[in-house]
Amino acid sequence: MSESTAGASTTDDRTVRLEEEGEIAADYLEELLDIADLDGDIDLDIRFGRAAVEVLSEDGGKDLDRLVGRDGEVLDALQELTRLAVQVKTGERSRLMLDVAGFRAARRAELTKLGESAVAEVRKSGEKVALEPLNAFERKVVHDVVAAAGLVSDSQGDEPHRHVVIHPADAAEGTSSADDAHTESAAGSVRSGSEVAEATSDAPTESAGMVE
Amino acid sequence: MLAEALEHLVRGIVDNPDDVRVSAKTLRRGDLLEVRVHPDDLGRVIGRGGRTARALRSVVGALATDGSVRVDVVDVDRR
Repeated sequence: MSESTAGASTTDDRTVRLEEEGEIAADYLEELLDIADLDGDIDLDIRFGRAAVEVLSEDGGKDLDRLVGRDGEVLDALQELTRLAVQVKTGERSRLMLDVAGFRAARRAELTKLGESAVAEVRKSGEKVALEPLNAFERKVVHDVVAAAGLVSDSQGDEPHRHVVIHPADAAEGTSSADDAHTESAAGSVRSGSEVAEATSDAPTESAGMVE
Repeated sequence: MLAEALEHLVRGIVDNPDDVRVSAKTLRRGDLLEVRVHPDDLGRVIGRGGRTARALRSVVGALATDGSVRVDVVDVDRR
């Protein structure tokens, strides 16, 4: 799993803000674990310019799987609530990423493989390739893989059929800029101005898990 | 435990946490948890298109170990 903090645009202020997000989230989650009598350690980090909050099982037990749910459905719900808990305290919308028991990390690894094999297919055939529908988090992972490989991708279709399309290298030359191509269309996502400003050229701005 | 968990989840996302009340009732088909919040926080707990209420149901449902549980957000507080 490739991890990086945001690029040169990162300021100390921003790091402090993301650390604060993580701490508010940790308090919210810790008390929930306590009430539900679930054992878990909370790990805080900053990744891809976002607060990353991870709930890890203390003893490798399966208890926490309940908080992941089928296809990560419960995890997405808990992430949503945690973002709101942060927002109510900071007054700003949070884009924090929550993981439980390594679910997203494992899914990220799978999607990285999927993205890489699709990139290879596009290179070989010279034709664009459309992937199966994925959720926002999953599309973001694939966009990152495609961008790292130097190709261009975008998201097409409406939820729940929204999917990544990967374009061959020469198709990108005619477009105004590669950035436009792998930025979500305005119609497809709801994003505040500040979030757009946070985007860097090497990080597609599709916001994983956000309201779209 | 479920009522307490739900109360915590809701208290954390509203402006008036002290006004959050969760009451538990046992129905024939399972438990019912009723959430009451300050009128100003109602929209926040329901969310756009019911998104937040759905998230609350999802997490509380995941924590329910025996049978199903229903979560209702009561929109008029007449206590």
